[in-house]
Amino acid sequence: MSDVSSAATQYDRRNEVVVAGTIDSDSWRDEVSRLLDEGNRFVGLYGLDAGTPGGAAYGGPVRALFAGAEGLRLLTCRPSPEGVPSLVDLIPAAGWDERETHDAYGVHFPGHEPLRPLLRHDLDLASWTVPVRGHDPFQVAVGPIHAGVIESGHFRFHVVGERILHLDVRLFYKHRGLERAAEGRTPAEALRHVQRACAACAVSNSVAFAHAYESASGMWPTPELARARTLLLELERLYNHLNDIGAACAGVGFALGSMAFAALKERAHRLNAQLAGHRFLFDTVRLGESKIEVSAAAADQARRELADLGIDARKAWHEVIFNGSVQDRFVGVGLLSEADARRMGAVGPAARAAGAISDARTRSPRLAYEQFVPSSLRRPEGDVASRVNMRALEVDVTLALLDELLSHAVEPAGSSRAADAQPVGVGIVESPRGETVCIVETGGPLVERLHLRAASYANWPALAHASVGNLLPDFPLINKSFELCYSCSDR
Amino acid sequence: MFVLLRDLQRLRRKVALSAPEVRGSLAARHVDAGSCNGCEHELGAASGPHYDLARFGLTITASPRHADILLITGPVTTRMLEPLRTAYAAMPEPRMVAALGDCALGVGLLGDPEEWVGSVADVLPVDVRIPGCPPTPDVIAAHLLEAMRHRS
Repeated sequence: MSDVSSAATQYDRRNEVVVAGTIDSDSWRDEVSRLLDEGNRFVGLYGLDAGTPGGAAYGGPVRALFAGAEGLRLLTCRPSPEGVPSLVDLIPAAGWDERETHDAYGVHFPGHEPLRPLLRHDLDLASWTVPVRGHDPFQVAVGPIHAGVIESGHFRFHVVGERILHLDVRLFYKHRGLERAAEGRTPAEALRHVQRACAACAVSNSVAFAHAYESASGMWPTPELARARTLLLELERLYNHLNDIGAACAGVGFALGSMAFAALKERAHRLNAQLAGHRFLFDTVRLGESKIEVSAAAADQARRELADLGIDARKAWHEVIFNGSVQDRFVGVGLLSEADARRMGAVGPAARAAGAISDARTRSPRLAYEQFVPSSLRRPEGDVASRVNMRALEVDVTLALLDELLSHAVEPAGSSRAADAQPVGVGIVESPRGETVCIVETGGPLVERLHLRAASYANWPALAHASVGNLLPDFPLINKSFELCYSCSDR
Repeated sequence: MFVLLRDLQRLRRKVALSAPEVRGSLAARHVDAGSCNGCEHELGAASGPHYDLARFGLTITASPRHADILLITGPVTTRMLEPLRTAYAAMPEPRMVAALGDCALGVGLLGDPEEWVGSVADVLPVDVRIPGCPPTPDVIAAHLLEAMRHRS
């Protein structure tokens, strides 16, 4: 355990939030433009209840989070009777955020026309689909129940023949109101809600929440705690990436690849259970501490199993990468350009496969990623092949990280108090699907507002965009190459 | 790849699943009524190479019209209530319903009660209860094989 003073001197402000004050709606766009011009990046936008300080009787305030070299800035807009001026022309990535805020908090966004519903499902088709006109276009409706064992969500394809002209995605069938339910609860209870948002991202979402809460409480993790959480995050990434490569194989009916990677994924699950007591690592992340204990002998055994798994994963990958009929289906399909990935705020392997290299692991001072360098493809094409190749590359990096993390025993660990408590904290974590953001506003001992903007939420619009121009039968493959969670987005 | 398949034989022997006494078949349709995706992952694993439920005559079918049993995961959200009822109505009789996982069983539901209807039993008659968060593939397999035995 490191002592308090040494931890305090290491206090890294990169992911710490500065509350930048409340702005009137008249100067909202100017202030945001200025932040963007200064090189800040949009991270998320969310609403609050009417009656929250900074709001007005007719509507609650809207907050937007930006990241820059000097840390995170949280900006609040006091709405006018007309609402909050839209940012979508400045920040296309804020489109879903504004639509959600409108549906959940009744805030209008003048300039965002038409403001299509996202959460609301009780409206007619024309209100939420983009009108597609021309010679003989028709719609193909898929879901919410799909043919396989898949999460629920509805896709409405506008097609001519087999060609996709446009895709309207309607999610939130699985909306459980987890954010709302977490409000007014203790941080430990709120953590349970965040964790169950999604099984496949349970660790990422939980660590993002834990970081947000600990940041608000002025806590800083000891190096042992950082290492334990990094171990959990990489274990989660391992089984997810193995699953996602197998899913892409299933998307083209390549049973050999999908079964080989399903078997590898099962081995990763069993290793999770062996190391942390749960196949999906549920309840392994705790606030301010870690209880995970892995003896030196158990860690060594896990390393050997991971080394074996790595050899078999490379063998299986060999079958995928040198199979002409598989590659023929992967290459050139579901293109997402680098410019579009950046413009739409895509994150994670999908963005990196398009050449938009960004990885939250390079800016995670609360985790043990000191030497981490994000993977990049020699020729990032932004197609299905690039996204699958990206994951294969990242499996190797994750295996190397795990080998290092398991080089000695993992002990229970805690945090030190390094700064004064503040009312807001933010946690940003690289989940298997990309940057996941959790914002926690506390009022005394309870959570007042919780917002989870998962990587999948950021990437759904990019997926819909990448489908345009492709053949309808290729959509399952394109979908699987992104492999986004519905439950993370729906919450 | 042949090495991998040989390993599979070895790994499969580690899974304690005995062949059912009665041979038969069971076609299952899955509906995610609001789960966290954990049950889906484990159901997928149950039909994966380690557990391979197809060898016992258990298959996942694409349509409720071809299904003997409906496997429902998650608390039933308000938005999934109608699609779930439609899927159930589309099944031929006799039909069975399995509540898969703790949420479907109404155990420890998380979220805003305004956004969900409740457990599966609040909506449909439940024949098979599969506990766990999420239930492991062998637990899923054991319950479904039991259901198949009762049906025969």
